[in-house]
Amino acid sequence: MGVAFVAHCLLNQNSKVGDGAHCAGVYSPVIDVLREKGWRIEQMPCPELAFTGLNRFWAVKEQLDTAAYRRHCERLAEAVAAVISVRVTKGEDVVLVGVEGSPSMGVTVTSSDPLRGGRPEWPDGTAEHVSGEGIFVEEIHKALAKRGIGFPRVAGETHALAGHDEAAQRAGLESALEG
Amino acid sequence: MKPDQRSFRIMLAADRYVNPPPGGLDAVAVAEQTGWGVMQLPADDYPPEVAEPLLAEVAEQLEEFSRHGYAFVLVGERAGLPEALANVGVPLPDGISPRTAAQLAEFLAARPAPRASWETGQAAG
Repeated sequence: MGVAFVAHCLLNQNSKVGDGAHCAGVYSPVIDVLREKGWRIEQMPCPELAFTGLNRFWAVKEQLDTAAYRRHCERLAEAVAAVISVRVTKGEDVVLVGVEGSPSMGVTVTSSDPLRGGRPEWPDGTAEHVSGEGIFVEEIHKALAKRGIGFPRVAGETHALAGHDEAAQRAGLESALEG
Repeated sequence: MKPDQRSFRIMLAADRYVNPPPGGLDAVAVAEQTGWGVMQLPADDYPPEVAEPLLAEVAEQLEEFSRHGYAFVLVGERAGLPEALANVGVPLPDGISPRTAAQLAEFLAARPAPRASWETGQAAG
């Protein structure tokens, strides 16, 4: 059995930015796979919730990437890395399940638009998804490196991406779990 | 785009209800069926230097939900949680240590509606 460190919102969609909650509470398409495969669940804190609040706007990485937000994410990442360290020390397999397209929780796809700012108006469909990690995931990377712990395998919830396909999302998660 | 489907209802759950031992109660499954979100509390066997920062983050996030009128309950117990919540001025929510899924579902169903909703604005607090 392994341990899946999951983005906060996968157990609690109430933490999502407005208009972002795909279901009432628990995001079953990911959590049910972890249950079926017998993985332990560890919920990570939501970095945006406490910092920018429930009434936050949708944002791209550049808007959140301030020194203060980095320090906030660094603090949270240290707390997460400490738990990962406990699990790795026990010899347990670890994966990290993020949220693709998120400026904070993206594991292979984040959102980027260096020009976005000011009055929040922009056309629907503005291209913003780019390869890369969100800010919190980057800070987890650093916190694990400080401890000499390798970065775990990753998977992501893909609802925000164009062409989201639940079967493909499940296959990606299963692939990460199987290593 | 589908409308936001959040429930404004959150269950603070002890680790043994999120990662139940064999034969134990899976509160996440009950949350899925009843439409509650879950905030997991640190495992009881984590050392204080690992658990305390996590409890502080849970408390800080719960404070934000509380300010906006979300409903929350406690399922199980976690040492240090009352102190962490007190540090942010949030009272310990009503709780239950259920033995069965039916017991938990009944408790959740009897909770008052949250103050927050999209109709009232989620800044109801």
